[in-house]
Amino acid sequence: MEQKGFFQTKAGGLTIAFIVIMLAFAMILAGLYTGITVLCTIGFVLIVAAMLYSPVDVYILNRKKKQ
Amino acid sequence: MNIPVTIFMWVMAFLPIAVLLVLMIKFQWGATEAAPIGLLITIITGIFFYKADITLIAAESAKGIWNALIILLIVWTAILMYQVGDEAKAFLVIRNGMRKLLPNELLLVLAMGWIFESFLQGITGFGVPVAVGAPLLIGIGVQPLWAVIIPLLGQAWGNTFGTLGAAWDSLAMSAGLTVGSAEYLSTAMWTAAFIWLWNIIGGVAMCWFYGKGKAVKKGLPAVLILSVIQGGGELLLAGFNTTICCFVPATISLLVILLLGRSKLYREEWSVENSTIMNRGFAGQGNDEAPKDMTLVQAFVPYFLLSIITLVVLVVGPINSFLGQFKIGFAFPETATGYGYVNAASECFSPLAIFTHASMFLFVSSIIGLVFYKKHGWIKKGGVKRVFIKSISMTMPSGIAVIGLVIMSKIMDGTGQTVVLANGIADVLGIVYVVFAPFVGLLGTFMTGSNMSSNILFGGFQLTTAKLLGVDPSIILGAQSAGGAIGSAVSPSKIILGTTTANILGSEGNVLKKIMMITVPATILIGIIVFLLV
Repeated sequence: MEQKGFFQTKAGGLTIAFIVIMLAFAMILAGLYTGITVLCTIGFVLIVAAMLYSPVDVYILNRKKKQ
Repeated sequence: MNIPVTIFMWVMAFLPIAVLLVLMIKFQWGATEAAPIGLLITIITGIFFYKADITLIAAESAKGIWNALIILLIVWTAILMYQVGDEAKAFLVIRNGMRKLLPNELLLVLAMGWIFESFLQGITGFGVPVAVGAPLLIGIGVQPLWAVIIPLLGQAWGNTFGTLGAAWDSLAMSAGLTVGSAEYLSTAMWTAAFIWLWNIIGGVAMCWFYGKGKAVKKGLPAVLILSVIQGGGELLLAGFNTTICCFVPATISLLVILLLGRSKLYREEWSVENSTIMNRGFAGQGNDEAPKDMTLVQAFVPYFLLSIITLVVLVVGPINSFLGQFKIGFAFPETATGYGYVNAASECFSPLAIFTHASMFLFVSSIIGLVFYKKHGWIKKGGVKRVFIKSISMTMPSGIAVIGLVIMSKIMDGTGQTVVLANGIADVLGIVYVVFAPFVGLLGTFMTGSNMSSNILFGGFQLTTAKLLGVDPSIILGAQSAGGAIGSAVSPSKIILGTTTANILGSEGNVLKKIMMITVPATILIGIIVFLLV
């Protein structure tokens, strides 16, 4: 059986999501310190996207694969 | 604040919590999947109905991430500590040793699921007892689902005065109680009294889960003795010192349960054969793998270290002051919603005192434990690398859920949704509200994962409501914090800690469903008592 790499597993995907959230955290802080709202917006969108990775993967992508 | 407290606004504020509960309980979603949906709804209601702008939402999200990171430091270090013990097979030694000391299986379950967790809650808290307790219970043959439920119940009573009184101090701060004043002492006494009631319920519930009426009959004397020590001791000490009024009785109960194991009532081997929470076949596994030359005391070394380091750093004033000065935190600007709900600016939001934080105690204890086990040859080649890799892999899935839940609570708080929720309940119910006062505390802990945060969030509100209704604020504040303590048993972010270390991540809904059968009636009971008292 083919062995999956760490980043192809669910834990790996969530690790990437975690890293994205940390980057977004830094962007929001930078945006708040400098007053650049665009940075806050991009950071916030990144957080939402990273957070939604797990439900989208489990309940949409995996179900489609099974079908 | 000009937010209209209408039924519509209340429903909108409650919607994320309702969806979270439905997804987890009805549809059996894991918290990693359910939390982002709850968060998404909170963002939508926050922007469209509570008139929050993107800067406010982004700032609250960043605050949430920072708070979640602080929690995750504890999660990671607690899991690291577990992995150190697991790699050295110390849990097999603990399991075998405790079995010899406590031949009565019910007493063994109570010791490993309630008393040891109480001890850990007394000093560390923040979910550590759940993360550490679940694998210990699995080791003695408790099924993984119950190995999560039992520590959740066992640690809950210690949430207000545990962690050396952190949640209590925040209640006193948010309600403006002056240390040593009559109101302060009265509130401490009522809080401890309500918590004692919950402590007894928790103990009896564990016996019931283990073996229904037969186990309750057998375990009741032990539960009553241990509860008098824990709950009664806390009530007694609360009038003198709120910092140690949980830790001291919790430590005494740890010694007393070992003595109970030698008593006539519990010294013989006893078990309920058809107990639904046990899987003895699993518990029998690995007996031969336990290191022969490791004693029970040596197996407990990381935990002894944890206790000693925590006590020394938190109780010895000069050491605490010196180490406590190193803090990390970020500044946040003032933000406001379209309704004028203001979040004050902060120069250093929620600073992390890195050297006096529970995660540091866990980390240092784990590393010294690792070196100790390795020196004795109980950790083999490649073991150290395995310990770190496994600890990070186990932390990640729960990390996303914790981040989602904390951001959700921050946005709800920052947009005024939390206040509308609480105000709406008080406005509609009038004096009947007092029945629901502990539920507000429970709700706060459910949302934030912390009795301390619940007290910060709702302490002032409960005080104001009590004054508006003309009832004794001490009783209402006591109900708030007791409800908050009970809420720590149903908080998704704490449940995740258990499901992570028990290796049943995704079963949070099942845990929640079973545990609510105990926590909801207990909270109602406290509410009714409060109603009768006022």
